[in-house]
Amino acid sequence: MPELLEVRNAVAGYGSGPAILNGADLDVAPGEIQCIIGPNGAGKSTLMKAITGLLPIRSGEIRLMGERIDRLRPDQILKKGIAFVPQERALFPKMTVRENLRMGGYTIRDEAELKRHIDDVLDRFPILRERAGQHAGTMSGGQQQMLAMARTLIVRPKIVMLDEPSLGLAPMIVQQMFDIMRQLRDSGMTVLLVEQNAVVGLKNADRGTVLDLGRTLFSGPAEDILKDPRVRELYLGKAAA
Amino acid sequence: MLSSILQVLILGLALGGVYALMASGLTLIFGVMRIVNLAHPIMIIAGAFVAYWLFRLYGLDPILAMPIAAAVLFVIGIVLYKLIFEKEAANAKYSEMTVLLTFAVALCADGLLGALFSNTQRVTTPAYGTDAFIFGTIFIPKGQAYAGAISLLVIGTLLAFLNFTRFGAAIRATTQNRAAAQLMGVNVGRVSLITFGIGIALAGAAGALVSFIFSFFPAKHWEWIAILMSLVVLGGMGKLMGAILGAFLLSVIAAFVGTYFGSTWSTMTFFLALFVILLVRPQGLLGDKIEEA
Amino acid sequence: MATELGVSDVLKARKDYNAALASAGRRERATWFPLALLILLTLLPALQITGGHNYTLHLMLYAMMYAAMASSWNILGGYTGYISLGHNVFFCIGGYFSGMILAYFGVTSLLTAPFAGLAAAIVGFAVGLITLKMRGPTFIISSIALLMVARILFDHWQFVGGSNGVALPQMDIPAQWAKLPYYYGMMIVCALTVWASYRIKHSKFGLGLRAISQDEVKAESAGIDTRFYKVLAFAISAFFVGMAGAIWGEYITYLRPNIFLIILVAANMVLMCILGGKGTVAGPIVGAVVLIAFNEFSVTFFGSSEINLLITGLVMVLALKFFPAGIVGTLAKKGRLPRVLDWD
Repeated sequence: MPELLEVRNAVAGYGSGPAILNGADLDVAPGEIQCIIGPNGAGKSTLMKAITGLLPIRSGEIRLMGERIDRLRPDQILKKGIAFVPQERALFPKMTVRENLRMGGYTIRDEAELKRHIDDVLDRFPILRERAGQHAGTMSGGQQQMLAMARTLIVRPKIVMLDEPSLGLAPMIVQQMFDIMRQLRDSGMTVLLVEQNAVVGLKNADRGTVLDLGRTLFSGPAEDILKDPRVRELYLGKAAA
Repeated sequence: MLSSILQVLILGLALGGVYALMASGLTLIFGVMRIVNLAHPIMIIAGAFVAYWLFRLYGLDPILAMPIAAAVLFVIGIVLYKLIFEKEAANAKYSEMTVLLTFAVALCADGLLGALFSNTQRVTTPAYGTDAFIFGTIFIPKGQAYAGAISLLVIGTLLAFLNFTRFGAAIRATTQNRAAAQLMGVNVGRVSLITFGIGIALAGAAGALVSFIFSFFPAKHWEWIAILMSLVVLGGMGKLMGAILGAFLLSVIAAFVGTYFGSTWSTMTFFLALFVILLVRPQGLLGDKIEEA
Repeated sequence: MATELGVSDVLKARKDYNAALASAGRRERATWFPLALLILLTLLPALQITGGHNYTLHLMLYAMMYAAMASSWNILGGYTGYISLGHNVFFCIGGYFSGMILAYFGVTSLLTAPFAGLAAAIVGFAVGLITLKMRGPTFIISSIALLMVARILFDHWQFVGGSNGVALPQMDIPAQWAKLPYYYGMMIVCALTVWASYRIKHSKFGLGLRAISQDEVKAESAGIDTRFYKVLAFAISAFFVGMAGAIWGEYITYLRPNIFLIILVAANMVLMCILGGKGTVAGPIVGAVVLIAFNEFSVTFFGSSEINLLITGLVMVLALKFFPAGIVGTLAKKGRLPRVLDWD
């Protein structure tokens, strides 16, 4: 299968500090859910920020459908079809749910088209329709995560990226999140996520990638990664399986 | 007695409008870039000089000169941003180095204006500058009334721009969460550039109005730094409505203090208010906690 | 993909990575250098036997004063990370305290300077209790407001002459030697300040201050009484500036708000620190010498104080944009700092 997103030998770090990513590689195929796991400080979030252009890489290449995107700004990368929900969810707390969704469609200049896209997304998340007038900052963690995810869907991206979507959420809500991700995949979208909770992440993913010390160590079908004895010893804790 | 209280109140409100305009650019820039712009007041003085010279050389009314002053200062703002603040704004976290940079810019501009025009007191003198509306026993200088009314008009336009345009939404989004705005497809670099320009242009517009209600000279901006900061801090750093509220509140209080205790203490009101606010409610009336690096 | 990797490879890589992050050790310090400098400065007035070097002595005195003030500012602004743009308030308090004693009781500032420093420190302590509750930008703003309040108060305080100020009596010494008492007075203040700055930097107190500058919340949770540390740093920093003010006031024989309470004095302290290297011991001294030499040059060429202000601002912009670590800091980072300046 041709790769949708490729990262080759990416090096990145903050300011003039040491490199957090030390030559990471990543391959994302269209229509899959891929989960990146790894210990704290492995560079998982940094890799996500590098792909979305929030943290420009120092060297290496990032390609979307063969086209270099590693020198583009975040707004340009969004227009290429990569949407991102960062760990802190990045909502606009003083804006209502509807205003947040409208900001999600900031790049859509046609008002009628924007309305249609928002309506489509609200059909997928009925809870948000009920709360359209509420300020985002006053919602619960699970609802905020729903809104953050919904907001990225307004522009109908090719790839949705999520950094630790399960963080701080109740197990039931987490399962709901993954159900939505599978629905998205089945409708043709590609999902790339980072999970601290490696077992839950891998069980719900098609492919897994292990990052450590800023490098890619293992990559393969999620079930194989989950069963790999080295991964189990190093990252999952032996009890996990 | 009652009419004199009413008179002081009206004067305070008129000046409050001008203060609100002065503070609006400052708070806009802080909101989007987390830059505490200590060079803001000297930009107001620069705007006053533009109006002053247009009046002296061509007899242009300072109110009509206001758009020109705003345009000139907009360009200055864009240039300053490109030369000095672009990298700092990209971080959009408060840093003391950035404050010191604005301080250094204020020193430069103060020195430059002083060298060009000297530190003598100046004021533009349109006919309405010395005229007044008289309603019975109430006496309102026309200059202050016009300046206050026009300030409100400009602020109203600014609020409409922020709330009802696509670019305004981008500015509000960047203020609330810069990274999130970027992820929504907002080019925050461009938003910062334009916002910085608008902020400095607002200073220029305020300067044109200031030129006929206060006498001014380059070194006066140090005093205004503390005055403007007190307004902005009272309202909550980066909150536009807060700054406007703060401006009216403190201006009215200062007008009363000035009437009953003399003008020295009227200026003191702002400084002492600043200390009291910072002590009692450092986040201001409408503000959240100030973000730090 | 590197699937041939084994568990032990990963663990070893992790260990090596962490070892590489831990950096190199310390070098010896050249303590003889400041002592030699002090001896040189003590002997310098011998030039006056031939006469005609009054201006040299004046410049040295001026440089020592600013070296003391910048070093003192550095304790709060450099080590602790609290930028004060109104520190000349303490310069003013010191100057007026000793100056008024001289005017009314005829006691020279050289004797009362420590008390002037103490007065400045007490005011600093009291002000610090209020303003150091604020952090970051609000603290900077409050420092400017403090300067404005002081200016209004001194301009209107008739007991100290209001905005016209007070003329001070001069010592009855022949012009050839007239500068010497103040020269040595300022030299002692400067030496004391630099010594204090060095001792603080290398003490547990200094470590606490640096922890505060990096992350105040973490410093507090590490058990540092941050409020007391900050206020104490503020008071110490005010103390030496106050002493310098006391000697300067009598030296120039005049007290006036627009000598002490102008923004340029505060700006100089800040700029010297940044230029030399904020948070280093030697930086403020290097910054003071460089900036004063540069000012000498620019005043000769351009004259007016407005241009001087413009140039001060320009130098500051350039320093902040291109050498935010300052001369000492930048050299140290590149490993090119001469041993004689490495006091950190």
